[in-house]
Amino acid sequence: MLMHSAVQNAAEAVVGGAVSAADAARAFALPEVTEGPWWVALIPFLPLLGAALCGLCAAFKVKSKLPAWITVALLATSFAITVAMFQQLSGGASISHAFRWIEFRWGPEADQIFTANFSFYADNLSILWMLFVTGLATLIALYASEYMSHEVGTGYCRFFAAFCLFVFSMSCLVLGDNLILLFLGWEGVGLCSYLLIGYYYKKPSAVAAAKKAFIMNRIGDLGLLMGIFLTFVHFGTVEYRELFALAEPYVLALQQGRIGDIPAIVNLIPVLLAIGAFGKSAQFPLYVWLPDAMEGPTPVSALIHAATMVTAGVYLIARTYPLFLASDIALPLVAWVGAITALLAATIGMAQFDIKRIMAYSTVSQLGFMFCGLAVLTTAGGVFHVLTHAFFKATLFLACGAVMHGFAGQLDLRKLSGVMFMPGWLIVGLAMLVGCLNLAGFPFTAGYFSKDLILAEAFITPTMAPIGWILLFTAGLTAYYTFRVFFRVFVGPKEFHPGDDAHGEAETDVEEHSEQVEQGNPQAEAVGEKAHDVGDEAHGADEAEDHEHGHGHFHPHPPGWAINTVLATLALASILAAGLYFIGDKGWVDGMLQSSTAQQVYLTQEGTRASGYALVTAEPAAKGTFLGFDPHKAMYYVSAVVGLIGIGVAFVLHYLGRTEAATSRADKLLPAMGPIATWAQDKWRVDELYDMVIVKPLRVISHIFHVIDKLIVDGLVNLFGVLPRMIGSALRPVQSGQLQGYAVGMAVGLAFVLLVVVLMAVAGAGVAS
Amino acid sequence: MQDVLTLAQAGGTPPMAGVTLAHYLFVSAAMFALGLVGFLVRRNLIVMFLCTELMFQASGIALIAFARYHMEMSGQTFVIFVLTVAAAEAALALALVVLLFRRRDSLSTEAWQEMRG
Amino acid sequence: MEPSREGVPLVEQLVNPFLLYGAIALGGIGVCVALPRRGVSPQAIGALLAAIAGAAVLIGLGLGAPEALPNIHFYIFSAIALGSALRVISHPRPVYAALYFVLVVLSSAGLYLLLSAEFMAFALIIIYAGAILITYLFVIMLATQSPTEDRLDMLADYDRAAREPVVATGAAFVLLAVLTTLLFSGIGQLPEPRDAMAREGLMAELPRRVESSLRGDDLLNRGDELVYRADEPWALELDAVERTVLVRRATGEVEAVGLPDDLRLRNVESLAFNFLNEHPATIEIAGVILLMAMLGATVLSRRQVELDEDLKAAQASKLRLGPGGGGAAQPVPKAPERGDAASTQRGLPGGRFSSGGRDAPGGGQA
Repeated sequence: MLMHSAVQNAAEAVVGGAVSAADAARAFALPEVTEGPWWVALIPFLPLLGAALCGLCAAFKVKSKLPAWITVALLATSFAITVAMFQQLSGGASISHAFRWIEFRWGPEADQIFTANFSFYADNLSILWMLFVTGLATLIALYASEYMSHEVGTGYCRFFAAFCLFVFSMSCLVLGDNLILLFLGWEGVGLCSYLLIGYYYKKPSAVAAAKKAFIMNRIGDLGLLMGIFLTFVHFGTVEYRELFALAEPYVLALQQGRIGDIPAIVNLIPVLLAIGAFGKSAQFPLYVWLPDAMEGPTPVSALIHAATMVTAGVYLIARTYPLFLASDIALPLVAWVGAITALLAATIGMAQFDIKRIMAYSTVSQLGFMFCGLAVLTTAGGVFHVLTHAFFKATLFLACGAVMHGFAGQLDLRKLSGVMFMPGWLIVGLAMLVGCLNLAGFPFTAGYFSKDLILAEAFITPTMAPIGWILLFTAGLTAYYTFRVFFRVFVGPKEFHPGDDAHGEAETDVEEHSEQVEQGNPQAEAVGEKAHDVGDEAHGADEAEDHEHGHGHFHPHPPGWAINTVLATLALASILAAGLYFIGDKGWVDGMLQSSTAQQVYLTQEGTRASGYALVTAEPAAKGTFLGFDPHKAMYYVSAVVGLIGIGVAFVLHYLGRTEAATSRADKLLPAMGPIATWAQDKWRVDELYDMVIVKPLRVISHIFHVIDKLIVDGLVNLFGVLPRMIGSALRPVQSGQLQGYAVGMAVGLAFVLLVVVLMAVAGAGVAS
Repeated sequence: MQDVLTLAQAGGTPPMAGVTLAHYLFVSAAMFALGLVGFLVRRNLIVMFLCTELMFQASGIALIAFARYHMEMSGQTFVIFVLTVAAAEAALALALVVLLFRRRDSLSTEAWQEMRG
Repeated sequence: MEPSREGVPLVEQLVNPFLLYGAIALGGIGVCVALPRRGVSPQAIGALLAAIAGAAVLIGLGLGAPEALPNIHFYIFSAIALGSALRVISHPRPVYAALYFVLVVLSSAGLYLLLSAEFMAFALIIIYAGAILITYLFVIMLATQSPTEDRLDMLADYDRAAREPVVATGAAFVLLAVLTTLLFSGIGQLPEPRDAMAREGLMAELPRRVESSLRGDDLLNRGDELVYRADEPWALELDAVERTVLVRRATGEVEAVGLPDDLRLRNVESLAFNFLNEHPATIEIAGVILLMAMLGATVLSRRQVELDEDLKAAQASKLRLGPGGGGAAQPVPKAPERGDAASTQRGLPGGRFSSGGRDAPGGGQA
């Protein structure tokens, strides 16, 4: 407490030195903290119980879908509890103490204290997060129960155990009332991500992807960890309740333009935390792991790598928003990184052919949007986009997963076409359409509103207009590549080539047998369609026989009830999410967040002038405009137009006149683009760049160290090994094996000891006399 | 023998009549040294054990002499104990010797020197 | 002996150190010479030298305490003991060494007698000479093949010559020198010998013996009885220094009666008191040690029958089928026969002890 009070005094000095007590307005409204109900602790611990039960299932070699039902049931309960907590929570925040976890006391009177309890901090921000985390997890677990049915008996338990563990970790991350518990969850989700990406551990690429994700995340985690350390060093606490109160004076100082009063360490903390967020949320330069993470099973991609885990970075920034507001460099950094990531990922996504990979890049890109949203001070926009994105991206991924499931792992958009109109695939196609419209920002979809909020605020916030332009351009690209997928895979002529495996694991031996009907006859398109229809009916008749046994013929199997239900629910949720925008004054999310610490904060004029970068000022005159118009109103039209242009371009290039899956009009444009297209296809060779700039030099250094290790360290060690050996070989003859030789030694030794005793006695007697 | 018996009776005669404790101790030490020499120079396992018995004997003499000097019976009690140990040792050692002899057909210690550096 | 109380108690007060160390060196040389060697060995000269050295030290010690009369028995017994000990270590024949050891034991028993430890003296003879040495002799006779005729070349090679006599004697006599120095310098620091009378107090705990002795001397009449202590009802009211005991006469009066002169505490009695009163666990521990030694010796010298695999299989099948089963048809070779045959074929005298042999002493040579 000593440290606390010291910091507090210093902070008060900062405040009191400039303004009078009456003038000391709050920088932001600190929520009133109450003691929360105990059952909030069930939200994380039910999934943990699920993980344990799935582990037991694995131990007892359960050969049924039991683990899936355990998982779904427990996650649904968890979701229900979250809803209950949401009902109970009215503004403010509540802390539910589960148990004492870490508590150190030191100092002369044990008055220095470090506390990190297993307590859960429920406020509007964390409960909002938990709502979609548990809700989506429940739905995706249901989806996975069918999707993973190939794995029943082998990896089913392992999958669901890791799934539950993930939800537990994510809940700790979100609900934890201190940064240490957040870090526990942070590492927990990283671990589960590693386990689930490497789920098909027999596949080298999956193993490599898992390792890549893990290592990349470690880089970010280093930043987060150092941020937490510095937080404790400077503020003397890691608990949010105290932390926000202690950060307030600095926010106030920035608000009033007293930048000199903010120490460098306070500037540094949010930057380090942001680096942690970049790692977890796959932002430039640490984004390269996320596309590779698609090696995991699709539900994992949907849950972890699109909807929940990757938004942990966004959550971290939103959670510690007061710390970010106290720095005049952290949020601009976040904004630029977010914008660069959004653009870069979108350009790469345009040139990819693997539909899951395209979705992965779009996730990276959309995460960039969210970061920008936070950075341009519209936490509501950022968090709303997280929410809408979670639903529509989960929809998109699960739809892609259904395709992958049905077509034996086929993900190449050049080998699939017209899937939506094949029998049994309508729901998938419609869900995909809803997801794509959302992602593309089609007017009146949820994605449209959330993206508009970010774009508009980017133009409103001074000095952030370039970010707004970049994001606007990216929005157009997003619309293009999203509908590129839709137009090529889900509509158009029916055609498919099954993949060479089912779900990445070489479990079935479906031959690479292309079932191309009418492939070589582009003129007779209509005839081909008919032939397909006939063929499909024939397939339908053959449905009785298991497609995995039909070696000669591959039949795509349409998704079952679980997948369809989940897809329909999610698509519906994506559509309905738009309604949230119309609740309340500035949208439901904004209303939620204004009562948490992640609220918008306004600067005074002095603050704006002094910091140069400036947070939004309260005065309307200082707000930016979009080419002279009110950005909010203008953006309704502008972003709609941009989105429609993107969709139109995709329609022209990838739907019109396309007669087969493999080619489209866009191919004709490729020569004109020259090497750019190839580069984009190669993901701008970022991986290669990293390899050259970081990995290779490290390898060279490691070789050098290896040599040093061999020569000097090993030499030293060997020297210490050789020395005793030499001494030993010198002494070895003593060990003659002859009994009496040893006895002589004993006798002489005894004589020596007695001699010493005698001499000591004599010496002692001499002294005495 | 009359002298011996007189001496043996506790009480009347002064302890160590004519002979000092040092005499007995020297005899004991010399016997011990002889036993040690025997242990070191003889190559016959049985004789070596005989020499250890010699050393036991020497220590027995010293103990009895001290017991007499101090008029303290614990010394004699201890000799009983030494005797016990000697008997046990003889039994085990001879069993071992028999075992070793069966293996090598020899009583030489030099037949058993595999354990060398 | 009158240990000097004043000044530094050093070796010099007992015996001249030059004499002592010189004699020890001489004795070492003597013993070294006396050890068995190949070819001509002047064992007699060595023994003589050693004897001279030993005598010199003992006489020197005797001269150091001139007022005490030399006890001839001590010199006789110690001469026999040390001489026999030298012979034990120097005699090439193990049997003779063992017999000389018997002599050592007997003369040690004599020394014990001189030290008024009669019980231990006879116990030593019974246990050592009677039991342990006999065991040694058995093993020697079983394990060595020396014939009866007196020819040295029939000796085993390892008995014929000492190994490294100079080094061994050097080491041992250096130890002797240090040991004697230690002992002699320590003697001066010993406390005064305890009063022999002190132990007589134990007489109080032997009421029957006292009573029978008193009655034998008619010091106790009919109706008289001894007075026991109030706090220790098993002990008499006996004054060890005055040698009196309280007696309650038939008339009722209590008076002190002098003890007869021949009523003395015997060695066995005092030893028994010490043994059982002061070291009660000793006898238990000794018993356990002896039991364990017996078990160990039995286990170690047990004959180890080595069966090969087909033999084991045959026996197993026989056991499985039971008596009268098919296994009985197969002739089961017996291990002892095999072992005996093997040792006979080898023609080694050691066949007597070879594994699996029928332990017929003459089996190997037959």
